[in-house]
Amino acid sequence: MIRVEGVSKRFGGIAALGDVTLEVPEGACHALMGENGAGKSTLGKVVAGIHRPDAGRVLVGGVERRFRDPADARAAGVAMVHQELATCPDLSVAENLLLGRLPTRGPFLDRRAMEASARELLAAVGVDLDVRQPMRALSTAQEQLVQIAAAVGTGARVLLLDEPTSSLSDAESERLFALMERLRADGVTMLYVSHRIPEVLRLCDRVHVLRDGELVGSLDRAEADEASLVRLMIGRELVPTTPRHLTSPPGDVLLEVRGLSSPEGFRDVDLEVRAGEVLGLAGLVGAGRSALLRALMGHDREARGALRVGGTRVPVGRPRASLAAGLGLVPEDRKREGLVLDLGVGANQTLGDLARHRRGPFVDRAAERAHAAAALARVEVKAASLDTPVGTLSGGNQQKVVLSRWLERSCRVLLVDEPTRGVDVGAKEAIHALLDGLACGGAAVLLVSSELPEVLGLSTRVAVMREGRIVATLPRAEATAERVLQAMAGVGVAVEASAD
Amino acid sequence: MPTDDRRTPLPTSRRGGHVAEAGLLVVILLLGTALTLASDPVTVGGRTANNFLRLDNLVPNVATTMSWMAIMALGATLVIVSAGIDISVGSVFGLSALATAAALQHLPPDASGLVSVPLAAVVAVGTGLLCGLVNGALVVGLRMHPFIVTLGTLSIFRGIGLVAVESKTLPTLGRELPASFTEGFVGLRWEVAGTFVQPVPMLLMLGMVALAWVYLTRTVGGREIYAVGGNEEAARFAGLRVGRVKLRVYALAGAAAGVAGMISAGFYQSANTATGQGYELTVIAAAVVGGASLTGGRGTALGAMLGALVIKLIENGIDILREVDLGLFTLTVSKEYQKIIVGLAIVVAVAVDRLSEHLRARRALRG
Repeated sequence: MIRVEGVSKRFGGIAALGDVTLEVPEGACHALMGENGAGKSTLGKVVAGIHRPDAGRVLVGGVERRFRDPADARAAGVAMVHQELATCPDLSVAENLLLGRLPTRGPFLDRRAMEASARELLAAVGVDLDVRQPMRALSTAQEQLVQIAAAVGTGARVLLLDEPTSSLSDAESERLFALMERLRADGVTMLYVSHRIPEVLRLCDRVHVLRDGELVGSLDRAEADEASLVRLMIGRELVPTTPRHLTSPPGDVLLEVRGLSSPEGFRDVDLEVRAGEVLGLAGLVGAGRSALLRALMGHDREARGALRVGGTRVPVGRPRASLAAGLGLVPEDRKREGLVLDLGVGANQTLGDLARHRRGPFVDRAAERAHAAAALARVEVKAASLDTPVGTLSGGNQQKVVLSRWLERSCRVLLVDEPTRGVDVGAKEAIHALLDGLACGGAAVLLVSSELPEVLGLSTRVAVMREGRIVATLPRAEATAERVLQAMAGVGVAVEASAD
Repeated sequence: MPTDDRRTPLPTSRRGGHVAEAGLLVVILLLGTALTLASDPVTVGGRTANNFLRLDNLVPNVATTMSWMAIMALGATLVIVSAGIDISVGSVFGLSALATAAALQHLPPDASGLVSVPLAAVVAVGTGLLCGLVNGALVVGLRMHPFIVTLGTLSIFRGIGLVAVESKTLPTLGRELPASFTEGFVGLRWEVAGTFVQPVPMLLMLGMVALAWVYLTRTVGGREIYAVGGNEEAARFAGLRVGRVKLRVYALAGAAAGVAGMISAGFYQSANTATGQGYELTVIAAAVVGGASLTGGRGTALGAMLGALVIKLIENGIDILREVDLGLFTLTVSKEYQKIIVGLAIVVAVAVDRLSEHLRARRALRG
């Protein structure tokens, strides 16, 4: 049983949590929802001993606890699975799993025992991996499962999961859910932090919603539905809309790919995207979708094949050529590939596009700042000033900064990879509207997303990738969740036959 | 693109209040005050002055000797901001000084300054630039870690000097550098308030700081360095030519070491094959004390100079304070302690910087 009572937490002048009281009974699974910056992660970190509350108290099993650090919390059976994964990439999976309690024989590391217990830990959560491979060889999804295995393996009785599915594909999420069900049956108490309403409604007994650091409502599963939760989270109604770009027929072919292959993970890819069209690219994590986008942008020297933009041939493997042809890429991992976190919001907006604000060798700063301010206002980025380091912004605002960069470059073909990962409901709606607006303006959009509703909702057509090949291309009317999932998993001969 | 009136643009005002160098300035003021209070008055040429706070201590012992260090620290800062490192700087400095001396000793001793000064500049900066380009090309072309590359070139550039200069010292016996370059330029003496000072190295340093400041904060090239150092992947995905940015950074660092070498050769009127040995540590320390982050993305030109100043003030303090009366007992500071105290100061300065950065990050953090 965990209970937080009147917990408040301030960072400098900003109240992250204000007088929050909630309780998760023994063996229950509760959800914690809210937009980015609502204080979900902060609350989780208070419980897990990472932050100390300014006021209020945390009770575990009815006893008040004041954890000094996460290790202290771990010892008391409270573990947190983080949104940002913390592992040592060059150590092996086994070493990561058992870090801090590596088995020894005399003064030496007992490798055999280490690998055996690592395999056991993974087997307990239903994962089959080579424990000797280095951590960096794993996909994000695999890393996440390893992290959960480590937490469960240390005998955690209270598990705090901070958006664990944000980087998992649907199939991988299913595996995680099955694991959560099993842990619940074993009596593990769970607090599940997520943006995803369907998951929450399916897994959790009760949902607590935070907004601006305050608890605005707690609903039992029976009384909660999508509309009521969204209303609580964003404080207003969310009106579902059909993308506007569907109302006008697509124009000429803007992006044409023929026989593109790369050892990075895709083979013989043929696809075309027309002006005013959004082509959704569905597939499991590791199906080669991100590698394909990267190659189209010229960041893969090994790639071979033909690429045409607006009918003009573009050499493959040359980033500057792709850029000049009007291609743009919003990368999968905005923190690693999209943004310079220490630089201000403004400088990130104009990154790579300073040529237009150039006077001789100098940056015309007045012009740059005015332009960045206007551009960021157009995508409704919320930040204190242009000089606020972009790393301090919420995920949604960070993503808008990256998007804004390409919108201002007025690229003709925008490649977007997981544009709403780790982004809250309000910002997600706004990002969808921006992509829709881009297509309406005559650009071609190639959208990779592991969220099937996003792909189905936004796309003119849906292409499915499996094991590096495009195995199906479906028009919107035929692209049902069932058919797409079948194609992703490689079942259903009918879908294979209809592939072009 | 939708446009809508309710969207208000972000404020475009400059960063409010936070000046990265403010902490350093406080440290320098405190250090200066402490040294002034601890120094005894001395009588030189019939006039009494504070042993620390007098022109003929501050200019020759602080400003002049820090000038080439600070200029190299500027180059090191560029490299460090790009998330690289250049430890060959002392060898580049030495080789440039040797090249300058080698070229100028062939001029007649009374050669015009219009010949000697430009020749010195071209030879010194050219040598440094060439060394820097080699570093940059190896880092970019072979995708090797810059520490390894410059560890190698540290030895190579030093070795080139040893092989090329048999006499170990330049100018060779019987020759001298043109006076128009040494006494007429780098070592030019001015009379200020009754004492003679040699202000040119300091002025060159200030000019270089201004240039580097403008470069880092006002030019496209400067911004690209922060972007590459802050997040190389993101910079590449945004369309920056990352390799070119890195090459430029090492080339500029080499050129800065060249300028420093030229000043040294002119000021001492000679150069030898050991010139600049071990300087890399002081130079990198100055850049880091000045706020450059070894993980890249942060650092300023002014910080590099102030970092060099902090180190020089500590060294100078130990030189002039033989005995400090602390009331209860007398503390004897001998020169042997200099390295220990400078080392401690570096660790403390960086620790304080990390602490203030941590506090600032915590204030900015939420959620």
